[in-house]
Amino acid sequence: MVGSKAFRHRLLRLYLPLTLYTVFLLFPFLWMLIVSLKPDRLMLDTRINPFFLVSVTLDNYLYLFQETEFVRWIFNTLIVTISATFLSLLCSIPIGYALGRLRFRGGSTLGVGIFLAYLVPPTLLFIPLAQVISRFNLYNEYWSLIFTYPTFLIPFAGWLLMGYFRTIPIELEQAAQVDGATRLQAMWRVVLPLALPGILSAGIFAFTLSWNEFLYALVFMGSGEMKTVPVGVVSDLIRADVYQWGSLMAAGILGSVPVAVAYSFFVDNYISGLTAGATKG
Amino acid sequence: MSVVPAPATRKAARQRRTKKGSLLEREPVLAYLFLLPGALILLLFMAYPFGLGLYLSLTDKAVGFPEFDFVGLLNYRYLLQDDIFRKTVVNTFTYSFVTVPFKLFLGLGLALTLNQAFRFSRFLRAGLLLPFIVPTAISSLAWLMLFDSSLSPISWVLRDWGIIDGRINFLGTRFNAMASLCLANIWRGLPFFAISILAGLQAVPQDLNEAAALDGASPWQRFLAVTLPVIRNIALIATLFSIIMTFSDFQLIYVLTKGGPANGTHVFGTYAYDTMSFGALGEAAAIALSMFPMLALFAFILLRYVRAEE
Amino acid sequence: MTDPRISNLIREATTLRYSRRGVLKRASALGLSSAAAATVLNARGLAASPRRAPAFLQDRSITILAGTYFVPSAQDFFDQQVQDWGTQAGVSVTTDYINWPDIQARIAAAVEGGDGPDVVELRETWPYLYYQSMVPMDDVAEPLSEALGGFYPWVTDTVRVDGKWYSVPVGASSAAFAYRISDFEAAGVTDPKNNFPKTWEELFAVGKELKAAGKPIGQALGHSTGDPPGFAYAYMWAYGAMEVEADGTTVAFNQPQFVEGMETFLQAWEDAYDETGLSWDDTANNRAFLSDQISGTINGSSIYLSAQDAKAGQATADYEIIVDPADIWHATLPAGPAGPFVQLGSWSYAAMNYSDQQEAAKEFITWWTSQDHFQPWLEAQKGYIIPMAPGYAELPVYTEDPSLEPYARVAEIARNRGYAGPSNQNAAEASSRYIVVDTFAQAIQSGDAAGAIERGAQQLERVYSR
Repeated sequence: MVGSKAFRHRLLRLYLPLTLYTVFLLFPFLWMLIVSLKPDRLMLDTRINPFFLVSVTLDNYLYLFQETEFVRWIFNTLIVTISATFLSLLCSIPIGYALGRLRFRGGSTLGVGIFLAYLVPPTLLFIPLAQVISRFNLYNEYWSLIFTYPTFLIPFAGWLLMGYFRTIPIELEQAAQVDGATRLQAMWRVVLPLALPGILSAGIFAFTLSWNEFLYALVFMGSGEMKTVPVGVVSDLIRADVYQWGSLMAAGILGSVPVAVAYSFFVDNYISGLTAGATKG
Repeated sequence: MSVVPAPATRKAARQRRTKKGSLLEREPVLAYLFLLPGALILLLFMAYPFGLGLYLSLTDKAVGFPEFDFVGLLNYRYLLQDDIFRKTVVNTFTYSFVTVPFKLFLGLGLALTLNQAFRFSRFLRAGLLLPFIVPTAISSLAWLMLFDSSLSPISWVLRDWGIIDGRINFLGTRFNAMASLCLANIWRGLPFFAISILAGLQAVPQDLNEAAALDGASPWQRFLAVTLPVIRNIALIATLFSIIMTFSDFQLIYVLTKGGPANGTHVFGTYAYDTMSFGALGEAAAIALSMFPMLALFAFILLRYVRAEE
Repeated sequence: MTDPRISNLIREATTLRYSRRGVLKRASALGLSSAAAATVLNARGLAASPRRAPAFLQDRSITILAGTYFVPSAQDFFDQQVQDWGTQAGVSVTTDYINWPDIQARIAAAVEGGDGPDVVELRETWPYLYYQSMVPMDDVAEPLSEALGGFYPWVTDTVRVDGKWYSVPVGASSAAFAYRISDFEAAGVTDPKNNFPKTWEELFAVGKELKAAGKPIGQALGHSTGDPPGFAYAYMWAYGAMEVEADGTTVAFNQPQFVEGMETFLQAWEDAYDETGLSWDDTANNRAFLSDQISGTINGSSIYLSAQDAKAGQATADYEIIVDPADIWHATLPAGPAGPFVQLGSWSYAAMNYSDQQEAAKEFITWWTSQDHFQPWLEAQKGYIIPMAPGYAELPVYTEDPSLEPYARVAEIARNRGYAGPSNQNAAEASSRYIVVDTFAQAIQSGDAAGAIERGAQQLERVYSR
């Protein structure tokens, strides 16, 4: 009896919601997967159930590697994304700490000031920013994106991290200081490790936002071999009023699954610490 | 982090040991040092474009024309009499205030669900983040196909099951188009909330939770008393960012409707972009910046909450 | 250099070493137009500040920005041409092909930032928007026009800016009514190849039969730059309305005849059209046609050419094609009381004046648009791009496939956006705001033809009074 009650509990609180979420969140992705494996000739065929794969092909994937510069685009995107994420975290961890933990005159104002930078939409900003890029001679260089992405990543990650630093009880830090640690030591040894889940998730967001970014990548670095994945894919696989569905979706899959795998590796590290204990108990 | 000059802090530590009050006086130094690198980048790459954007909105600057005049608030006044702009404001608010609550509550639910231990959890945690990872430029195209009036597989299956006849007009009426956009937006934005909150949940003290359970607190009471205070800040900040991202959304709408039909789904981003495309940079800047005060207001209110906690 | 004030200012600027700002200041003090100031800046080499390394430090290289070709083999052909020229001229050339809706963002950023592609493919209404950043091309375009028997009026009206050429026209993708022969036959049209309805009302009558049979005609009316205006402008003109009179300011949109025409169309929308068309963009009607959902629509030749590709694939892969290209035919758009019209605007190629390789860029455009090189390119396009002048209209590529013939023929009845004025900034604004297209969409949504046209007219007044 007890077992079945526990199971009903688990059904209601875990399996049912999990199923619903999975269906909603993965359905479009499943569709992308189907389309990427479908031969072109079936794409417009409404006589058969569009979810059925009556024949499967890898042509759409091969096309990416044989007919486009997909590998190069991945390489470009990785360089830009990793550097921009790294640079942004480097700047925003101290910002988050300062805003979340330190009292200083003008703290709120500065914090809001940094935040305001986030409020201007890129659809406007890209034109004045183009002047800055060309002034610094960065047009069509990796640096053009490595330096412009932090303009939206730093406010974002900085504020997010401020939130995470706030979740850590201040008493822990004070205790360390009472034990003779300097503020920096306390931050390094106590606060940062505890904030690791937050830092990781801020890093993941920064990574993903750069990975997905389109407009700046198109305008500042879209020439020749320097394209990023989204820009290259959209430029090469949309021909006037005809989409190459299969390869577009194949690029979507190839451009996201590796990131998801890397992500799961990171995230599991911080969640397992907690849930491992829970399952044992 | 270790790059920060040591002498100042060592001195601070020495002072702390001698005089407790002086610690607070040293905090500003550290704080400014911490803010410096980020502020420098923002200043170099952001201050000028930002200021210029603001200034341009007060001019009749056109793309590609070097000369222009200062016109004061003319662009803004022009917008006030523009019915497309009025529609744009209504659309943007609808779009944001329909999607953000859904994303917040569904995201919170997903975070709580994923925070439990279960088989294949690693696999699912990665999988459920996918909507956020797939480049929007591409996932929007997947939605375009799902919403296509002739190819939509959703229409096909429902028709096959005899639930509907004909095809669903996903993007063809103002209501349907807005609903479809909201759906796609919720899909894309939900994982952001889930992940932020999931990370926040890791700081919830387990012993407190267990103690409360022993005292007979219901799961709901425990959530309110133990969990919520910890993740509150994170949830607020995530909400704020989501409001901003949704307000200035561009790509999804540009791919799916470009603001059509009959301007029924124009938002600030798409309208500013279309305006820029006939060269009216000053006016486009005014459109884009007219959401600035509204966003600043949200930011102000939410940030007050976050900082007021101490 | 007709105005003595200009040459004086050039001399003055040279001796006094004026900065860019200095020149502009003096120019406005002298009451010179902005175009004149640009001339001075050009002469002083201050046109925009090319911020790359000086030319002598690097090899000559240029970048070309163009929309991704619909016909892949034509894109390869262009690449080859570019390489041939590059080898011969000692210039390394990169071509960036990008998705059409993204081209303008690139141009806008390049023009404002002063760095970007050296040669740019411009679409209709753009020469007026960016001419101040373009190198004058009178010496290329004028002789070319003469050699080809004069550009069509719709070409001149979309590319020439206030009587001057800043880019060289290259033609455009065209519009005609693509339809299924078998469906039209079933709907009671005998010999549909030669008897396509002559007027819109006749087409709507056939459409009623077609829709009753389950395969309506379709029309894209969403926000998209190709097919929706392709229909909306043509229908407006056919019913006697236009955006503005030839003076460029008097709006002539709200015409009784047009209101009647709109009412006819509203009825037809229910009776003859696929009503999901309100959401369609340039790509959606292709899909609807090629997935056998509709029996006809306004489009470029892309539907037909895609169907041909599918059929070619069938030969090797052995599958059942959905729409046989042999069943697709094309006709010029039907007429209204005022006649038949088609909306067309020419594309053109410009050398940008922020570039430090202006000569090379201009050299390339001159070389490529010359008959020897341009004609093979048009042929490589398989008729997808129609030419800018009658001189090319008789090429076999336009006449050998009878199904495609209407595409080149529409050049004779074409008008530009902004007609009866040129495709200037105002026309660009009206088009970017989708005023004409949305008048139709609004009328369909509200059912009020007169009201929608009235509102459209008010919006056009606002635009054309600027």
